[in-house]
Amino acid sequence: MRFLIASVVKDLKWRLADPMALALWVGIPLIIGTLVGLATGGGGGSGTLKAKLLVVDQDETLAAQLLMGAFSQGQLAEMFDVEEVDLASGEIRMDNGDASAMLVIPADLATAVLSEEPAVLRLVTNPAQRILPGIVEQVLEVLVEGTFYLQRLFGEQLRMMTEELPQGESMPGDAAVADIATQINRAMSGLEGTLFPPVILLETVVDRPETEAFNFALLFFPGMMFMSLIFVAQGLSEDLWNERKQGTLRRVAVSPAPLAVFLGGKVLTAAVLMAGASLVGMLLAVVLIDVELSRLPLAVAWSTLGGLSMLCMFMLLQLLATSQRGGGLLVSVVMFPLLMIGGSFFPSEAMPGWMAMIGGWTPNGLTVEQLKMVMAFDYQWGELGRSAAALAVGAAALVSLVWWRLRTFAVQ
Amino acid sequence: MIEVDGLRKQYGDLVAVDGVGFSAGEGKIFGLLGPNGAGKSTTISCMSGLLTPTDGRVRIMGHDIVHEPRAAKQQLGVVPQELALYEDLSARDNLTYWAAAYGLSGTGLRDRVDSVLEYVGLLDRASDPPKAYSGGMKRRLNFACGVVHEPKVLLLDEPTAGVDPQSRARLLDLVRAQAAKGTSVLYTTHYMEEAQELCDSLAIIDHGKLIAMGTLAELRAMVGERDLVRVVGHFDPERIRPALAELPDSEVLTADQDSVMLAVKGAALQLPAVLQALAAAGGHLRETTFTEPSLETLFMKLTGRELRE
Ligand SMILES: Nc1ncnc2c1ncn2[C@@H]1O[C@H](COP(=O)(O)OP(=O)(O)OP(=O)(O)O)[C@@H](O)[C@H]1O
Ligand SMILES: [Mg+2]
Repeated sequence: MRFLIASVVKDLKWRLADPMALALWVGIPLIIGTLVGLATGGGGGSGTLKAKLLVVDQDETLAAQLLMGAFSQGQLAEMFDVEEVDLASGEIRMDNGDASAMLVIPADLATAVLSEEPAVLRLVTNPAQRILPGIVEQVLEVLVEGTFYLQRLFGEQLRMMTEELPQGESMPGDAAVADIATQINRAMSGLEGTLFPPVILLETVVDRPETEAFNFALLFFPGMMFMSLIFVAQGLSEDLWNERKQGTLRRVAVSPAPLAVFLGGKVLTAAVLMAGASLVGMLLAVVLIDVELSRLPLAVAWSTLGGLSMLCMFMLLQLLATSQRGGGLLVSVVMFPLLMIGGSFFPSEAMPGWMAMIGGWTPNGLTVEQLKMVMAFDYQWGELGRSAAALAVGAAALVSLVWWRLRTFAVQ
Repeated sequence: MIEVDGLRKQYGDLVAVDGVGFSAGEGKIFGLLGPNGAGKSTTISCMSGLLTPTDGRVRIMGHDIVHEPRAAKQQLGVVPQELALYEDLSARDNLTYWAAAYGLSGTGLRDRVDSVLEYVGLLDRASDPPKAYSGGMKRRLNFACGVVHEPKVLLLDEPTAGVDPQSRARLLDLVRAQAAKGTSVLYTTHYMEEAQELCDSLAIIDHGKLIAMGTLAELRAMVGERDLVRVVGHFDPERIRPALAELPDSEVLTADQDSVMLAVKGAALQLPAVLQALAAAGGHLRETTFTEPSLETLFMKLTGRELRE
């Protein structure tokens, strides 16, 4: 135990002797994050982050057009790419993970709205994505309520509008729809206090946790912040080579202190540094993107666990190589693709379905997805616990292999 | 107490250590003298539990290093040939860490670290990291790390390699001081002067085998009274051997095309006769050296090579 503490103190001092490296680990992701932010948000070219919303319009009237129009204007237009499909092909594409969500508008929607009869909107969401489907759902909920109140308040005008349509045209032009949808949005805030029960029900097929006030930066931030922990893991994994090169690993090996404790010291040191790095990141998130302070401890603990699993993986890779350069290279070769599919460069919501799916199975992808939930949404303890167990078991298995390999590594 | 018996270490086909056996009692310094690649470091690695011997056994204070590694290692201090220091941590932090590895803690640890720092003359530089040290100071700290826990057995692998004369003298004093406290010391080197100066008994190792072992006096007796004469030039070995055989009190150790080595009694007086005989046998002489009896001459006599070749 004393040697464990001594090892942690030693490793921390060793790290603090090189504050530049520490600053880079935390700084590089912030720089990359800023660049990514500028490239996607600042210039308005948000091509990479668009949710595909499939709409099956079995109604083909103004009401459906209104719904679809709502997703095609203003801020929402930058996020959603609405495409009309038929039910069969829509279902196939959802199965392939090609879209964030599919909305099925029933044939009787317009009639139902106008005659105040119940109707069901069906929303199928993509389980591989978390946030964009959530937004779709949230927007729809508002629209459903809005449509209902609209009908209550402007029912006469609406009826007139549909009746005034020229013969052979079942719906008004795009401009008119957009205009009406804009009015819906504006009207909505004023309607909140009204107490009519809604007639139209929204049914979501895959249960999604409710999304709260959405912040665009939340898509990027967790991946970006976790990137700095991955850099910490990468840097610390190299310590095994440094220890060997400078002969100190041999010194440990000839001392009665167990190598396992020495290794445990490395992992604990990493935990301290990672918790520190993620604390910095989370404080930034609290200040800059309004993440709730109360979510901070869990977010720090969670990202530290994820970071440690990365460390264990990187340490093993280092020990599999035959030289320090080889080890560094091997870690990089594994790390960059992982950063890519694990949502550090761009969020899983902006990935093709298959990629987001694979990414979710990587330790960093798993960490980042849950981190998003922990930072801003209604995370579920069960799911979080299962993910934590998976990471912990994986890390334990890897670190055992590291320990086993370290004994021969020390004397080579 | 160090006991090594029939120690053997094989790397594939290469036998790096071949049947090495010796012992060193309390307060004794045992020297292992040998050229590069002789197997000194490999012997120390086997003794410290870093390498598993192919065969043979090592006991440290009665504990077998293979079967009771914890107990054996607890009594063992190792000063490795290559520096093994955290270059970025202060000397005090380095020592503190290694003391903790041997179970020291609290004020006992702090006192011990301070006294070791003073002992190796680094107390005033204790807060500086080794990267700011001279080569000699690093060697002293490297030594200090090996003795911070007051081991009963100390293994030193060429601790003076690449060190200035002043630091070397200081290090040798430190080794003597350890032995005076009752520590059993194994000291490997390829400087015969060090071995002669320091060791109670010693062995010469070459190609993994001990080729001579005993006290300094015993080994000197093996060399005999004769000086070693070495002549470099161009020779015909066939003609030289019979010509030299006629010289009194001399023995040809090696004779090949470009060097001849022989043991001669009273070489200072005999040298003209030796050179004459060589010239008469058609040799072209370029350089001549003669050395008084020493471990170096013993090594040459036993192997036909110089220790530092
Ligand atoms: N890991 C290894 N694998 C294969 N051969 C090795 C290994 N380590 C040492 N050797 C060989 O074993 C022999 C003894 O090496 P060792 O390092 O023990 O010599 P040494 O006496 O310490 O030499 P020096 O004075 O140069 O330090 C050498 O021939 C060396 O090449
Ligand atoms: Mg050596």
